[in-house]
Parts: sequence; structure tokens; C-alpha cells
Amino acid sequence: MATSICRTLKYFQPITCQNIKYVASLLDVRLPQPVFVPIRSKKRYFIPPAVNVKTQPEQEAKARAAGVVVRQQYIERPINISCTAGIFDPYVPPEGDARLSTLSKEGLKQRTEQLRQSAASQLSIRKIKDHDPDFSTKAFPELAQQIFIDAHAALTQFNKEKLHSLVTERCYPEMVRGNRYKTLRWRFIESLEPPRVVHARCPDMISKGNLYGQVTLRMHSRQTLAIYDRFGRLMLGDEDEPRDVLEYLVMERHLVNPYGRWRLHGKIVPAWAPPKDPIIKTVMIPGPKLKPEDEFENLNYQIPKPKAVQWYK
Amino acid sequence: MAASALTWAGLASIGRACGHIRSRLLGSSSTLSQVSCLHTSPELNSKHWERRNLIVYPPQQKDEPRRPAEIHHCRRQIKYSKDKMWYLAKLIRGMTIDQALTQLEFNDKKGAKIVKEVLLEAQDMAVKNHNVEYKSNLYIAESFSGKGKYLKRIRYHGRGMFGIMDKVHCHYFVKLVEGVPPKVEQKTGFDQAKEYVEQLRNRTIIHSL
Repeated sequence: MATSICRTLKYFQPITCQNIKYVASLLDVRLPQPVFVPIRSKKRYFIPPAVNVKTQPEQEAKARAAGVVVRQQYIERPINISCTAGIFDPYVPPEGDARLSTLSKEGLKQRTEQLRQSAASQLSIRKIKDHDPDFSTKAFPELAQQIFIDAHAALTQFNKEKLHSLVTERCYPEMVRGNRYKTLRWRFIESLEPPRVVHARCPDMISKGNLYGQVTLRMHSRQTLAIYDRFGRLMLGDEDEPRDVLEYLVMERHLVNPYGRWRLHGKIVPAWAPPKDPIIKTVMIPGPKLKPEDEFENLNYQIPKPKAVQWYK
Repeated sequence: MAASALTWAGLASIGRACGHIRSRLLGSSSTLSQVSCLHTSPELNSKHWERRNLIVYPPQQKDEPRRPAEIHHCRRQIKYSKDKMWYLAKLIRGMTIDQALTQLEFNDKKGAKIVKEVLLEAQDMAVKNHNVEYKSNLYIAESFSGKGKYLKRIRYHGRGMFGIMDKVHCHYFVKLVEGVPPKVEQKTGFDQAKEYVEQLRNRTIIHSL
């Protein structure tokens, strides 16, 4: 009797849960889901102290005497780094980009400035093409623009999973910080100029062969942004007023990883960028500490202006 | 047996944790506390006081009146009696925040210092996190105290008798709202008397001619 049961069990073993589910999906049969039955146990308010319990060194000594060898346990936690910490050798956008009209001679020169100028960028692009044969300087900007639009749409809906797949781990906190309890309304209206690749670098992190590709794109587009605070009041921007925006996006991919994807890594804000609009509310900037006999007007206090440097978002 | 490792208590705690982590509850139209569908008595409110700071309202249209910002703040397990704290909470109900802070600064009670700290924290939070423009433009809409968890100790009496001493703790809750405090109508004695007489006159006498 026992052997026959074993035989039947061996027959049924290949039909694992996955197979059953597969068969069920083919036949369109509703299988009963596994039922989790909780165990009821009584909570003990007084747990008596354990008797004859050996301390840790005594237990170890006993194990050693018995000849039990415990392999050394390494308390390690593997960390997967899938993006770099910053933008290596950043692109410095030329002053006056997108200010000159295309019809003037200067404008034409700017427009036709090709990537061929920079040898390092060419080398990096060749390295990227080694690892990723589908990469091409002509087709990539369209893809990248689509990733940018999708990432910002996911940010508006606050879809964490989709955002993580479209944006690197370095860029994610910068995009998301402070926005958790705010409502964002963002719309990409149109692209004024076709986006193009302006810069590329292939840094490697920690070990020599661990290559990451960083490609900078120049994008001139029209967008609408409105940020509402927790109570639905407008904090910044206008939903109906489109603005022309010139951006330098940095896309990154972990080239050595076969499952790596091109993701948004950051933005470069040039030093000559126009200042942003102020927020709608008034903000108090802390001033110098006054003694009782001083007056603020008599102090001639200069409000410190921030230096115009290129920074990365 | 692996299935039964998850008890209902575990599931409930996980559910609560999920609720805490990802609570983007959309505020419905019931922004005022007079809506009857919500329980607004202090006993039922106090458990989720911190969560009320996490509700996000949908963006307002341009023609709607500006929704005033509401900031909920509390301090738990203060070493003070809830009945003594009630006097301070009742004192500052309905005042502007500056007025409340001044009153508490010159009050001699122990709880006054604590309530002042709580108010300053709430004001700071309002300006930094909740997009309140002017820090003096706040008033105290709700302020009350609740019972915290008591520690029990033995108080020794004569003749071998003992009593259980409670080491009292209390919670203090405050809700700051942006704007000018609503004017409370002061009723004079004459008005109250007039109302009383009106009530007497409006009585109907049943089974009469």
C-alpha cells in the first residue's frame, strides 16, 4: 500500500503549482486559491525563566569539544550599484546657446556644430556602441525624449515603480524630494528643436571594467508646469502658460549589465541660465542679529547674491 | 504550516504600517469639521492626529475661495495631569498664535512651558512643510488634552495597607489654521434672558382648547 502511494506521488510531482496554473490558464478553469489558516495561540503574560540554559561561550566550548566546526560567518550585505554618483566630466554648454536666431551666421555655426569636435565624446560613443549595438546618435535622442516625457508623467502620478525604471537612483531623490504631499501638473506640449546628442563619456566605477555610459542631450521644448501644495493652492507656475525650456539632460546606462537600460541621470543647469520664477508666497530670509540700539536701515546690510555657477540637478 | 505563520495580528500590523507609509488619502469635500459623516469627538480623533497632516486635497480652481491651511500637531506622554493640562488648552482655544504664546510665557504652570514648545514646533512646521506664508497668520482652532499611558506604583499606607499610585501622563493636541480667528459672539445676560423667555413662550400645551 505504501509503495503504491509513493509511486503515485512521484507521478504527480512534475505537476507543480506552476504547471497547474499554466494548465488552468489554458483551459480557463478557476482553481481554488491556497487558504491561509491562522493559528490561534494564547498570549503568555508571564514567561518563566529558562533553566539549565548555557551561555554563549559555554555553548561554543561544548561544540568545539564535540568536534562541531562552524564556518566563519561573514556579515556582509551585497550592494548592487546600478548608477554612478554624479556626472563625470560634465558638458559645459556654450554661452548664448539658443539665443541667436538660426538665420544669422553665428546661429548657423552653432546649429551645425557637430559632435565630431570632441574626440573624447567620439571615443565614448564608440565604446558604447561596442557594448550596445543598437545605439545610434541619430535614433537615440528620440528615445531619450520619450523617456524624459514618461518619467515626468510618472512623477505627476507618483508611480514609484515606473519612475525607478525610467530614472536612475541618483536622480530619483532629487526629482521626488518634497513632492510627496504636493500635486504636480506637468504637460509636454511640443519640441521646438529636434533633440540632439552633444556630449558622451564612459566612466568606470570602482573596478576597471565596470563601464557606465553617460550621454548628454540638448533639448529645446515647450512645457507647462503647475505645483499645488497639500491644500490645493497654487505654489508655482501656471497650468495654462507654456514656457520655452532649454535643457541639457544626462542619460546613463550600465553598459556591462546586459539588462541595463538608458535612464535619466540628471540635468545640467548652465551658469548663464536665466533665474527661475519666484514662488507665489513671501519668504523670510534671516538677516543679521541686531542689538537693541541698532536699526536695520543704518546697518547697510547687503543681501548676499548666489554666484552664477553651473550646477547639476 | 508556513501558511499559518502569518497571524491576523501580523497582517493587521502590516496593513497599518502600509497605511502609515503610503497615506495619500484624498481629502473629500468634508473640509469643515461640522460634517456629520465624520466622528469629531476628541476620544476618536486622538489616535490618528499625526495622520491628519498627510491628507492631500485636489488642486483648487481659480474661482474657488482659498482653502486655509490646517496643521495638526501633538505631543505624547507628557508628564503632567490631563485635567491640569485642560486648563491651559482651554485658555488658548480661539486665540491667535502670537497671543497664545504670550499668555503661555507668563503663565506659572508647568504645562505652560510644554504647550509653548508644542506651539512653536507647530508654527515652524507650518512655515517649512505646509506652505504657510506668514507665521503670525495662524490661530488655534482646536486644542485639547487626552489621557496618556499611566505607570502604576505602590503607595505605602499605615497598618500594612497600600494604594496604587498612578504616575499620570497626558497627550496634548493642537490644530492651527491659517487666517484670522473667527469672532465668537459674546452673549450678554439680557440676551440670554430674552432667549429664555422666548423659549417659554414657544411652548405648546397639548390637549388644551
